[in-house]
Amino acid sequence: MEKDIAPILELQDVSKNFGGIKALDKCSFYIKKGMITGLIGPNGAGKTTAFNIITGLLKVDEGKVLFLGKDISRMPTYLVARIGLARTFQQVRLFDNLSIEENLLVAINHPGEKFHKCFFYTRKSNSFKKKIEEALAFVGLNKSMTTIASELSYGQKRLVELARALMMDYSLLLLDEPTAGVNPAVREKLKSLLRKLKKQGKTILLIEHDMDFVMSLSDEVIVLSSGTKLMADKPEKVMKDKRVLEAYLGK
Amino acid sequence: MGVAAQLIINGVIAGSIYALIASGFSLIYSVAKFMHFAHGVVVTVSAFMLFLFVGILGIPFWPAALLTVVFAALFGLAMNVFCYEPLRSKKATNAVLLIASLALTILFQSLMIAVFGADIKTVRQGYVGTGMDFLGGIITELQVIIFVVSIVILVLLWLFMKKTRIGKAMRAVADNEEVAQTVGINPRKIYNITFIIGSAIAGIAAILIALEQNIEPNMGFSLMIKGFTGSIIGGVTSVPGSVLGSYFLGLVENIGIWYLPSGYKDAIAFFLLFIFLLFRPQGILGINKGVQK
Amino acid sequence: MFEAYLIHLAILICIYAVLAISLDLAMGYTGLMNMGHVAFFGIGAYTSALLNMAGVPFIVSMLAGALLAGIFGFILSWPTSRLRGDYLALATLGFSFIIESFMKNWTSLTRGPLGIPGIPRPNIFGLVISSQLSYMIFSLIVMVVCFFIITRIEKSPFGRLLEAVRDDEVAAKTLGENVRHIKSMGLLVSAFFAGIAGSLYAHYISFIDPTTFSILEVILLFSIIIVGGLGSSKGALIGTIIILLIPEPLRFIGFPSSIVGPARQIIYALLLLLIIYFKPKGLFGRVKLGEN
Repeated sequence: MEKDIAPILELQDVSKNFGGIKALDKCSFYIKKGMITGLIGPNGAGKTTAFNIITGLLKVDEGKVLFLGKDISRMPTYLVARIGLARTFQQVRLFDNLSIEENLLVAINHPGEKFHKCFFYTRKSNSFKKKIEEALAFVGLNKSMTTIASELSYGQKRLVELARALMMDYSLLLLDEPTAGVNPAVREKLKSLLRKLKKQGKTILLIEHDMDFVMSLSDEVIVLSSGTKLMADKPEKVMKDKRVLEAYLGK
Repeated sequence: MGVAAQLIINGVIAGSIYALIASGFSLIYSVAKFMHFAHGVVVTVSAFMLFLFVGILGIPFWPAALLTVVFAALFGLAMNVFCYEPLRSKKATNAVLLIASLALTILFQSLMIAVFGADIKTVRQGYVGTGMDFLGGIITELQVIIFVVSIVILVLLWLFMKKTRIGKAMRAVADNEEVAQTVGINPRKIYNITFIIGSAIAGIAAILIALEQNIEPNMGFSLMIKGFTGSIIGGVTSVPGSVLGSYFLGLVENIGIWYLPSGYKDAIAFFLLFIFLLFRPQGILGINKGVQK
Repeated sequence: MFEAYLIHLAILICIYAVLAISLDLAMGYTGLMNMGHVAFFGIGAYTSALLNMAGVPFIVSMLAGALLAGIFGFILSWPTSRLRGDYLALATLGFSFIIESFMKNWTSLTRGPLGIPGIPRPNIFGLVISSQLSYMIFSLIVMVVCFFIITRIEKSPFGRLLEAVRDDEVAAKTLGENVRHIKSMGLLVSAFFAGIAGSLYAHYISFIDPTTFSILEVILLFSIIIVGGLGSSKGALIGTIIILLIPEPLRFIGFPSSIVGPARQIIYALLLLLIIYFKPKGLFGRVKLGEN
C-alpha cells in the first residue's frame, strides 16, 4: 500500500498480552480514507483484539493507535465513538429489552439525553423518526420499529445492529464478521450496502472469514497472523500469496 | 511483648476458623463458579444440630460430632440439589444464585430462631480448660485443638485435591468444565461431591466454634462474611489463597482493635472486603476470571 | 383499633413503596445489583432525625438526608463501576455493613446501639403532622410525588440510556455513551429517594437504631421488587403491598410473638425462592433478574 495519503487509522507496533499469550505482537498497519479494507487471518491471529484495542475496550501494552493523526491509545471507548469510530460485534450486541427504534435512538446524540433535561423530553422520537426509518430501509429491515429487540431473528438483529451503527456520526466503520451466520441473500444485501456506504465517502474496515465476500468487496486486504501483520495488498495479490495460505493451513 | 503475643494468638485462632469456612466456600466457588453464601448458614444449622444432639438428646459428644458433620455434608448437598441445580437448569445467572443463597440463609437462620429461640446456646464439654502460657500470651487447650484441627483438615484437603482421582476431577472442572466433560467427567456429580466436602468442613468448623464460643442464630452469617473476606483477600478461586487470606484477616482484625475501639472489629473485615473487591477482586493469589467487565 | 392498624400498614406501604421504586431504578433500569440500598435508607433516616432534633426545619432535614444519601450513592458508584453482577452485589453489601458499623460505633453522633428515640413528627411551616391519619395522608403525598419524579426520569431519554447500560454496557460505550456517568447518576437518584423514605420512616416510628437497617431489610426489599417485577413502577407498588400484607395474618393466627418475627422472614425467603424459580420476571416485570 502506498502511503501517499495520510491514513485515517494507524496502529504502530501495538502489543497486547493476555496472561502470557501475545494476542498482538508489535502489530502495525494502516487504513486509508474512503476505502473498504478487509482484515483477515486465521483464528487467534488477533483481529478482534485489534478491534477492541482500536475502540478502547482494551488498552495497549505497547505501541500506539492513531486516528486522523491523533493518538487515541489511552482514550476511553465512549470518546473514541464520539470522534467518529462506529463498530459492530461478532456476537451481536443489541439492547434486548428495548425496541428497534430505541436501540437506534441510543446511537444519536439526543439533546434530551442529559440527565438534567429529564423533565423536558419524553422518549418519543418524533424529531428523529425519519432518520430511523431511512436507516432501517437502507439495511432493508422490514420489521415494525416498536418490535422489542429480543424478539428478532439472528439475521434481523444483525441488520439492526448495523443500522444502529450507521445512525452514528462516524467516519470509520469497523465491522466484525458481518456475514457470520447470515443467509446468502442477506450477504449480497450487505455487499451492496457497504458499496453504497463507500460511495458516501465512509471508510470501512471489516474482519471476515468469508473469502469471497472480503475479496470481492475490499480495495485492500490486511492479513494478520500470530498477532502481527503478514502482508497488506490488493485482494488478488493476497489470494495468491503462499504465506497467506500457509498461515491458514500450517497452524 | 505479652500483648503482642496475645493478639497474634487470637489472630491465628480466629484465622483458623475463618480458613476452615473460607476453604469450603472457595472450593465450591472454584468448581461451581458461583457464590454459595448459604455456606454460612450450613455452619449455623450444624452448630444447632450439635446442640440438639448433645444438649437435648443427650447423645455422647463424639458420636454427636460425627452426626453433625454428616448432617452438614448432606445439608449442603441438599441445597445444591434442591435449590441451585434447578435454578441453573433455568439458566440463572450468578447474581440470581447469589440472591437465592441469601434467601436460603435467611430462611434457615429464621427457622433456627423459630425452633430454638433467639437466645444463645452453649455446648460445653469441659474442654475450656485453663489457659497455658505461650510466648507471653495465653492460649487454652481448646484453642490449640482448633488450630491443630484446622491445619490438619486443610492439609488433608490439599492432599485430597492433589492426589486423589476425584480431587483431580474437581480441579479439572474448576479449570475448564467443557474440556473436563470431554474426558468423561460428569460435572453434576463433581458439583455434588464438592458441596459434600465443602459442607462437611463447614460442619467441622461449626463444632469447633460451638465449643469455643456460643451458638446463636446469626453466627454463620457473620462468619460467612469473614470467611468470604478471607477468600477475596487471598483469591476466591484459590483455596490456598483463601486460607492465607483468612489468616491475614484474623491477624489484622485482632491487631487492629489494639488501635481502634473494639466495636469496629467487624468493620475492619468489611473495610478490607470492600477495598479488595474494588481494587483487587481476584485477591492476592487468584486469577481475574471475568470479575470485571 | 383495627382502623389504626390499617392506617399503620398504609403508612408503611407508602414508605416501602418509595424504597422499592428507588431500588428498581438502580436494579431494574440501570441493571446495578445493589444490595446496599438499605444503607441509603439508614443514612436518610439518621441524617433527617439528627438534623431535625438539632433544630433544623423538617423539610430541610429531609432533603439533607436524601442529598447525603445521594452523595453516598454517587461515591459508591465510582469504584464499583467495573464490577460484575455478583461481585457488585457483595461490594454494595459490604458497603452497607460498613455504614451499619458506623451507626453502631460512632456513638457520639448516632448514640450507637441505643439508637435515637423521640424523633418528632414533621413540622412544616407551623403545621404539625401529628395524628396517624394526617401522617398517612402526608406519606401518601410524598409517595405520589416520588413515584411521579422517578417515572418521569425512567420515561425520559435519559431513562433510555439507563436501560441501554443495563442491557449491554459495552455496546452503549461503543455508541458514545459515558456509561460510568450514567451509572453514577442512576445510583445517585436511587439513593436520594431511599433517603427520602428513610426520613419518612424515622419521623413516623420516632425511634431508629442500627438494627433497623440490617441484612433482613435487604431480603425484604429484594422480595418486593422481584415479586413485583423489575423495570416496573406498578410492580414496585403492588410488590410492596403484597409483601407487607402477606405476613400480617400471622398476627391473628395466634402464633407466639417470638415466632411471628422469624416466621415473617421465612415467608419472605420462601417467596423469593419460589418467584426466582417459577416466575423470574415477577408479576409485572419487564426484565429478568440479573441479565448479563
